[in-house]
Amino acid sequence: MGATTSLVKDKAATGLRPAGRPAWLRKTARLLFGLAVTALIWESAVQLFVIRPVYLPRLSTILMAIAATPGAYVNGFLRTSAETLIGFATGSAFGVLTGIAFFRVRALREMIFPIFVVSQTIPVIAFGALVVLWFGNTLLAKAVIAFYLTFFPVTVNTLLGLETVDPKQVALMRSFGASSGQLLLRLQLPTALPQIFVALRLASSLSLVGAIVGEWFGDTTGLGVLLLQAMFTENVVAIWGALLAAALLGTGFYAVVAAAERRLVFWSAEQ
Amino acid sequence: MSGSPLASSPLAVQRGILGAVLLVVCWEGLARGLHLPSYVLPAVSEILAGVWSKRALLGEAAGYTVLEALVGYGLGCLIGIGLAVAITMLPALRAVILPAATAINSVPVVAYSPLILLWFGIGVASKMVMVAMALSFTVFLSTLAGLDRVDRRAIDLMRSFGAGRLSILWRLRLPTALPLLLAGMRVSTVRSVIVAIITEMLGAYGGLGWVIYQAVLQIDFVQVWSAIFVASAASLSFFGMIGFLERKILFWK
Repeated sequence: MGATTSLVKDKAATGLRPAGRPAWLRKTARLLFGLAVTALIWESAVQLFVIRPVYLPRLSTILMAIAATPGAYVNGFLRTSAETLIGFATGSAFGVLTGIAFFRVRALREMIFPIFVVSQTIPVIAFGALVVLWFGNTLLAKAVIAFYLTFFPVTVNTLLGLETVDPKQVALMRSFGASSGQLLLRLQLPTALPQIFVALRLASSLSLVGAIVGEWFGDTTGLGVLLLQAMFTENVVAIWGALLAAALLGTGFYAVVAAAERRLVFWSAEQ
Repeated sequence: MSGSPLASSPLAVQRGILGAVLLVVCWEGLARGLHLPSYVLPAVSEILAGVWSKRALLGEAAGYTVLEALVGYGLGCLIGIGLAVAITMLPALRAVILPAATAINSVPVVAYSPLILLWFGIGVASKMVMVAMALSFTVFLSTLAGLDRVDRRAIDLMRSFGAGRLSILWRLRLPTALPLLLAGMRVSTVRSVIVAIITEMLGAYGGLGWVIYQAVLQIDFVQVWSAIFVASAASLSFFGMIGFLERKILFWK
């Protein structure tokens, strides 16, 4: 999604814009057009090359299957979104805070950062098994798994971002009597923000992975549950239905984070 | 890697070891002192004893998983680098490959595993495909970023001496791309082991993920932790190996 929007932007920058209509309308039109073309190619390719439904069912079949039982998909979508959002929010907050703590206290960083690195090599499903045992089969357990996948990249990038601050600027602000709190809020965090957002974009997809995998430990609603049930019944159409729902959630969430980035980091050259 | 959180001085190494020792001591003390049952948190010594007593089982499982991760890793890197090079050599492909790759990647990769298991069976092949899928996009993006980073003037210079596309790619673009490419490959190592394990959990004939899942079902949490320990050790050594190769290849850094 990010690459697509940047492609669109490149074209706009090189002067391909048709005059008049506002940017968002053009973008939406382009997006809808792209989706329509993809749908058309999908539908006709399956018919034309006689692809067996085991590999790729027709898009219309999948959409009809979703329309036949919309309740399961809507509930699953909402439940998984909630898990993803909670995990993402707590994970990002924890990541930023530990990043700042590691930046401030070097000894803390050298003692704990290696443990953070090792913690990321623990396969999430093993961790998931324990979390579900500790917290029960609740929404909270899934959010904890999403949290566990989310915080590390945010910690790393916050730390890296804070370290790019120009020492001369720090010295200047100090010479005007800025406290360390002011230094952090007015200079260091804004400087680190572009880096932090790179991690947040990554974290948005990782938290969804955490939520889906968490649901595999036994639950009754959620997109992960739909995937698992469809696999056990070897129902390829239902797998694709759940995949499409997961794609919608993934891209939607990514787009929201990217939009927040454009708003907040309006000065960044990349945007 | 200068200024990165992983840069290490002797003092940093000492503190890192101190941190690890403190963690182990706290863990052991907590588990023994509070008499925590092993399904809540087994003591470190119990886990190590578990690894030793189940070494045959865990060794075989780790062999399975490492094989899947390594083959998948190789495939994923080849696909990622290949696509990035193809796009650079034939810019017309960019408009097709980039959106397609982004669309495929918009679905969280684990969500594909039921489909891949149906297509490739529950043997090792499905895990290799999953690992390759999970990595190729990361490697693709970092290679592409590296290949695009080349100085326009350097290309013009080589062209003026009559260098062809291939020789520009081989002598200029690839060496310039190498640091980013290798960084992408290093990050992908841990992911390859994790994805192999996750996929094993949904269905496999063996492997660490399968061992973990069986142990969860039998509520044998010492074995869960032992398998976690082995999996972590495998990922870390893989990570270390690629990091070592990276330093060897990028001798000028």
